[in-house]
Amino acid sequence: MVDLEQLAQQVIGGRADETGRLVKQALDEGMDAQTVLERGLIAGMAVIGMRFRANEIFVPEVLVAARAMKAGLELLEPVFAASGVQPLGTVVLGTVKGDIHDIGKNLVGMMLRGAGFRVIDLGVNVPQPKLLEAVAQHSPEIVALSALLTTTMGQMPLNIRALRDAGYAGKIMVGGAPLSQEFAEKAGADAYGANAPDAVEQALRLIGAAA
Amino acid sequence: MTSRERMAVAMGHGVPDRVPVMCQLALGHYFLRTGVSPIEIWHDTPAFGDVLLALQRRYGFDGLLINLPGRDPDWRGHIERIEDVGADQHVVWENGLVTICPPDDNPHVYQSDRATRLFPGFEEIDPARLYYVEPHDIAGLSYPTRWGFGSRKAARPDFFPPWQYDTIRYVRARAPDVSVHAEVWSPFSQLMDLLDYGNALMALLDDPGKVSACLDALADGTIELMRGQARAGADAILISSAFAGAGFVSCEHYRQFVLPCERKIIAGFKEACPDVPVYTHTCGAIGDRLELLQATGTDGIDTLDPPPLGDVELADAKQRVGHRLFIKGNMDPVNTLLAGTPDDVMEDARRRIEAGKPGGGYILSTACSVSPATPPENILQLRAAVDRYGRREVYP
Repeated sequence: MVDLEQLAQQVIGGRADETGRLVKQALDEGMDAQTVLERGLIAGMAVIGMRFRANEIFVPEVLVAARAMKAGLELLEPVFAASGVQPLGTVVLGTVKGDIHDIGKNLVGMMLRGAGFRVIDLGVNVPQPKLLEAVAQHSPEIVALSALLTTTMGQMPLNIRALRDAGYAGKIMVGGAPLSQEFAEKAGADAYGANAPDAVEQALRLIGAAA
Repeated sequence: MTSRERMAVAMGHGVPDRVPVMCQLALGHYFLRTGVSPIEIWHDTPAFGDVLLALQRRYGFDGLLINLPGRDPDWRGHIERIEDVGADQHVVWENGLVTICPPDDNPHVYQSDRATRLFPGFEEIDPARLYYVEPHDIAGLSYPTRWGFGSRKAARPDFFPPWQYDTIRYVRARAPDVSVHAEVWSPFSQLMDLLDYGNALMALLDDPGKVSACLDALADGTIELMRGQARAGADAILISSAFAGAGFVSCEHYRQFVLPCERKIIAGFKEACPDVPVYTHTCGAIGDRLELLQATGTDGIDTLDPPPLGDVELADAKQRVGHRLFIKGNMDPVNTLLAGTPDDVMEDARRRIEAGKPGGGYILSTACSVSPATPPENILQLRAAVDRYGRREVYP
């Protein structure tokens, strides 16, 4: 029987091949997919988040852990789809128009997936119509917007206003290097993610699932 | 003192007649504030040289940073057409690539779909084929490196194109009394851009030996570029090492990857140009690595983002490394320069001058670049502040 603590350790260590192997083995042994997700992958990413916040690890370590988690998640997702298991919630994620930076956005996306969210990643340089269209299509609980540039942070309030004008009643969170809590509040966002683990924490809080 | 002399004294740890002032302006600021089109500024050496000089004079700066390489004088000959798309302009090149030029930010080169940028996989990279990666080449980033849209290959011994140093020569000739600074990308930054940031950061863990080999190879080309810049007339060389802060990598990774290659380029440059100062620009939180930065052999630190953008205050940095390094920066470009009032800027500048001026070795500047939309009246306050509080005989 697969040791889920051992699986979590593979995620923490960023070992994608071994993570995938253990997830497959767990499923082959008949283990419940939700249990594998929660006690293996999410447990591993939770440790990564804590260590990142404590400055014990940095972006490279988070990225390889997220890559390992993704390797395991790809094996679990068909099982969830087949059994009708619902994600924690749906997040539509993107870097705002004019901004092509994606490292922070990608990290947030991977960690949200690792926490159990379904993530619709619109990519970078997302024009407002594309954002509104995705929101209409996926009805997300959360819209998460990223901007790295001072030239593009001004897109945040514009997008938030457009989302509200279009009738979106879900939560909106923002993040990115030049942003701050104060900016997020002024822009009309419901939350500000100071970094990727914080974004996950905020997302959990927004849907009322905070630990 | 001329501006050039004043800057030289400050970079040499002396006490000039007043604290010098010099900011790096985001290219978007030139786009928005000079009336010259982004296409011209980005692609044309004299156009860029002219706007550099125009804003240096308008803001009363003692120096300017040339943060684009010289351009192929025949760049216009490779254009198929230019399209207006919303607020952007799209330059469609004869080979199908498209440069999207926003009105207020750096242009980027895309494939013909106008959405895709290509990056080589780490497994494709052969360290022996690396020498220098130029993310701001007008044809975009390439591997192996090529220059512009012509047939100019980048091959040693004539790796850099003949126009590489034209902007430095252009500006130098027109501003003999201004401190002219050139910029190179740290080998670490070059690799980040070459592979795309996420992939490059994972490579640090996946194959550290190969990463070190790549950085070592890129250091060789960087040294040649720095020497060429100094020969062309640069008074100082800025190493752009934006991704070496705590927002990206640990001190251990800094020690393992950044320190050796930056130490190598600085030592290699100083062998040929011992009297030309070198300083380093690293964004965000660097408070935990100021001493490591010093260990690279750099002469100065640019940036020093204060909280909330970073974590360093000038007085602390001055006390820790000010005896060895000159410091340029520490004013918040977002919350003070961009979002503040002229009075906010003046008060913040006064405090920085108060902390940085004693003993010399300080240049008033924003930490990171002045943002494109920053109000000119705020930028003008910097010169007013050094005139009011930064003169040698004035003690604020």
